[in-house]
Amino acid sequence: MSELALIIEDDEDLANIFATALRGVGFEVEHVADGRLAQSRLKSGLAPYLILLDMHLPHISGADLLTNIIRKDPRFADTIVIITTADARLGEAYTEQVDFVMIKPISFVQLRDLTSRLKPKEQP
Amino acid sequence: MKKPINRILDVPTSDPDDARRRRLLNILLLGLQVAALLVLAGLALDSLGSSRMSSDAEVRVLLQGILVLTLGIVIIYLINRTLSGRLAGLLFLFLLLAVFILTDSVQELVNGRSLFLFTLPIIIASILLSPGASFAFAVISSLIISVLAWTVGLFPNIPAITGFFLVALASWLSARSLDQALQELRAVNANLDRVVTERTQQLAKALERERIEASRNQAILNSIADGVVVFDTDWNAILANPALKSMLDLPVEQIVNRNFRELIEHHPLAPRNRSLLYAMMEQDTQPPSFRVEWGNKTLSISAAQVYERTSQGHTNIGTVTVFRDFTREAEVEKLKSAFVAMVSHELRTPLNAILGYAEMFREAIYGPINEQQVNMAQRIIKNTQRLLGLINDLLDQAQMEAGKLTIQAAPVRPVDLLENLRGVMDQIVQEKGLALTGEIEPELPEVINGDAARLQQILVNLVNNAVKFTEQGTIHIRLFCPRANRWGIEVSDTGRGIPEAELPYIFDTFRQVDGAATRVQGGFGLGLSIVKQLVHMMNGEIKVKSVLDQGSTFTVTLPLIVPALDEETWREYE
Repeated sequence: MSELALIIEDDEDLANIFATALRGVGFEVEHVADGRLAQSRLKSGLAPYLILLDMHLPHISGADLLTNIIRKDPRFADTIVIITTADARLGEAYTEQVDFVMIKPISFVQLRDLTSRLKPKEQP
Repeated sequence: MKKPINRILDVPTSDPDDARRRRLLNILLLGLQVAALLVLAGLALDSLGSSRMSSDAEVRVLLQGILVLTLGIVIIYLINRTLSGRLAGLLFLFLLLAVFILTDSVQELVNGRSLFLFTLPIIIASILLSPGASFAFAVISSLIISVLAWTVGLFPNIPAITGFFLVALASWLSARSLDQALQELRAVNANLDRVVTERTQQLAKALERERIEASRNQAILNSIADGVVVFDTDWNAILANPALKSMLDLPVEQIVNRNFRELIEHHPLAPRNRSLLYAMMEQDTQPPSFRVEWGNKTLSISAAQVYERTSQGHTNIGTVTVFRDFTREAEVEKLKSAFVAMVSHELRTPLNAILGYAEMFREAIYGPINEQQVNMAQRIIKNTQRLLGLINDLLDQAQMEAGKLTIQAAPVRPVDLLENLRGVMDQIVQEKGLALTGEIEPELPEVINGDAARLQQILVNLVNNAVKFTEQGTIHIRLFCPRANRWGIEVSDTGRGIPEAELPYIFDTFRQVDGAATRVQGGFGLGLSIVKQLVHMMNGEIKVKSVLDQGSTFTVTLPLIVPALDEETWREYE
């Protein structure tokens, strides 16, 4: 069974590109397009291996999701969190709280290469 | 208000000498009248209580004499007041002589006790008519006593006549010196009057000028759109213009003569704004101008201390405070930053999508593609990246203009700067067939203080610029230590160089050397302008040296601060 990657991104095209990159390296991908949906999905007992979180989201911001849910719930303690933002300053502020900060524009190849390295080694 | 006695004595005339003489004559007339009345009173007492009885005829003559004398006095007084002082004076003297002649026996008049009486008209004439008139009356008096002497068969009294002329001489001399003294006094007075008049006129003119200036200043103050308040040293408002009314939402009368502290306390203000205003009153610590939200308005306030130069140096005498309605500008600024944020997100997101899809295409995600297709995808990617670069430059420029871009220093490793630069630029450099080389001088500390993102931006922009204008050869980067407390970035290329005439303008916004080059090289010409602004924000400087057809060298020097790192942090950096 492949690992789950949760993409929280409001732009459909970017979500599509990210999903393609992640599927390409073997993740099972789930996508939510707004903060509120993401919140209920995260609270529903989902345990993703990796979360790709956009900081700029409708209804509930990525920062709120990160601080109030992801960093509070022990279920996500081992989850790899990558935040995506167009604001380099904002990204810098979160380097301590997440595993990776990706500044938009995010390259397909860059994301694919990064996540392929993060993927757990296949058990023989 | 004149005293009644003065109203009787004074004669209104323009010549002060004449006035003096006529007043003196009036006094003499009054004296003579009083003397006549005293004689009359004596006569009455005599007839009532005294045992010695005067003859009726004698009394009648005396009464008639006094009556005639009084009549004469009145006539002379009237002449003196209305016609001529000199004529009245002459008549008075003749009246006096007539009285003298009638008061005593001829014997006494010529040789005896009444002889001295004739000296009086001589003296009075010198004062009342003119100094020389004393001689005329000496002659008249001499003639009178000679004629009187002749009527009784006596020889004229030569010593008396000589005495008359001596008295006339003395009178003449003293009257003349009195006249001269008076004339001099009048000249002094006239001079004084002239000076006073001149001074008064000058003062009037100065006052008028001051009044005009004051009203002009008031007009200026009333018509300017900025609110102006002048405070004394205790922050009592001593002057305020009408523009303040709409800004502070208070009538001017409620601002003037009121203490500013009191005014602030009674106004609903956010704590931040209140503390800014208090800081203004505490002085020194606050910036020359600051913004305050006052009601629904944003006010820009600047305060300037007013000093007066005194013998003890400069003394603070108060503060001039200018209030400017900044509401509209503040709104525009808010809109502008909202716009910048919106553009930042809305432009970059679709470009990111284009970039991603092009990459997916190039990477043949959905099946094999041929070489031309790969090439095409590569071109889409390259152009999208260029567009993203331009947007970033424009946003940076907008942020710098809005004062929003800040420098945030943290420990940085120069090695990382160079490595990251290679990551970004290597491909671009290679595509153009150029070489990118870098060196770090050993003197440069391993970790320095700096804003990594902005330093990276400086390097990328300088190298991008070099790539743009270099057709073959090498772009060389050197990080070095030019002198104590400074470090530098040097980017040199082997490009076509910059004409000397264009050197002063290369850091200007939206400018490229040789207008036509813009079309060939692409770009807005913002790169170098941003570099210069960033360097200035870091308190550094940038210089450029260039030789046509040989290349250019850009040198940035920045303050060198070595961060004080604890051991753990050091390990992290190693």
